[in-house]
Amino acid sequence: MKPLPPTLRTKKRYILAEIEPPGAGADQKDLYHAIANAVTSLFGDVRAAAISPAVISSGPDYVIVRCARGGEQDLRIALSTVTAVGDVRIVLRPRATSGTLYALRRRLPQERPAEPEQPQEVHFRGRLYDARRYQGQKVDVIEKGIKRQELLFLTQDDLEVV
Amino acid sequence: MTVADTCIHPYPAGDSSLRRMAVEAGELGFDTIVVPDGTPLISSGVRVIPAALIAEESVRAVSGQIKKRGNGQSLVMVNAGENGFNRAVLNLKGVHVLRNLHLTRKQSFDHICARLAADRGVAVDLDFYPVIHTTGRTRQRVLVRFGELIRIYSRYRFPLTLSSNARSVLDLRSVEEITLLCSLFGMEEDDVEAALSTVGDLLNPPGPVRVVP
Repeated sequence: MKPLPPTLRTKKRYILAEIEPPGAGADQKDLYHAIANAVTSLFGDVRAAAISPAVISSGPDYVIVRCARGGEQDLRIALSTVTAVGDVRIVLRPRATSGTLYALRRRLPQERPAEPEQPQEVHFRGRLYDARRYQGQKVDVIEKGIKRQELLFLTQDDLEVV
Repeated sequence: MTVADTCIHPYPAGDSSLRRMAVEAGELGFDTIVVPDGTPLISSGVRVIPAALIAEESVRAVSGQIKKRGNGQSLVMVNAGENGFNRAVLNLKGVHVLRNLHLTRKQSFDHICARLAADRGVAVDLDFYPVIHTTGRTRQRVLVRFGELIRIYSRYRFPLTLSSNARSVLDLRSVEEITLLCSLFGMEEDDVEAALSTVGDLLNPPGPVRVVP
């Protein structure tokens, strides 16, 4: 079958979004469902069909989403209303929009942020937590235990003060 | 120019410490955050302004709370109610922000309230938490309410403030994202910029020009 000439193909736009907290373990399929649900919930089925969101690729701290040209602004709005993927609380922060995947991949940070160090045990307000340190001052701590583990977002200074 | 998130709730009300909130807010383009019952300080280059959130049902109780908690350094924010309550609150000295209007009925903030707010320099707060975290009819109601407020705002130009009501760093949104979210209910980019910079003027309102000999 002869492929469509480029002038007749639907024009696409690609959005690079950062996933926070990094390494939240969001599956690509779950990401797609979360984004598609956010678009449909905010703009309805008709507009969602016109936007046609699709997850092209994802990593521990980024996701690239494709949409039809003209739908990029609405998709960026919908991305900011994504609050969870499955049971995992995340936030998607749109960083760049491009007409080609090649141009967008060049905008991916060349140096991947350092993987969080091995969890260390820390005490905070009388409870025992596993602490994961990220770039700069940021420290995420998760309570040690089996159920109802509390996740807190702190800085190194908070732990030192305590 | 101040770029402020008018209400965030750090630990223990939320799951993120004040320092972490300040770091993230700075990265997202804010230079000021307002924290209920906080202390004035600068953390990671972000100015922290304390606020007194007042949720009372009678004007007398609101007035008492303002006397007790309004110290000149705190932003006094009062939860809105019915129309008569809102008019009375807008006339009280020391009130800076009227908030939670999306939880009230349509008639609770009319053209008289708008004119009062504009004359007395009291800001109306738009809370993005329900826009981001709710779906369906609840979000639709909030968007309609905000659309109505923006329509009145375009006529009377009373001060507006924007708040995320974030209880976690994951609830914070960048200035760009907030601008996009505001487009959902017809708020222009210039108005968003003005609303983000309102907090600085609320605590230091421009006074009459004085000639100093």
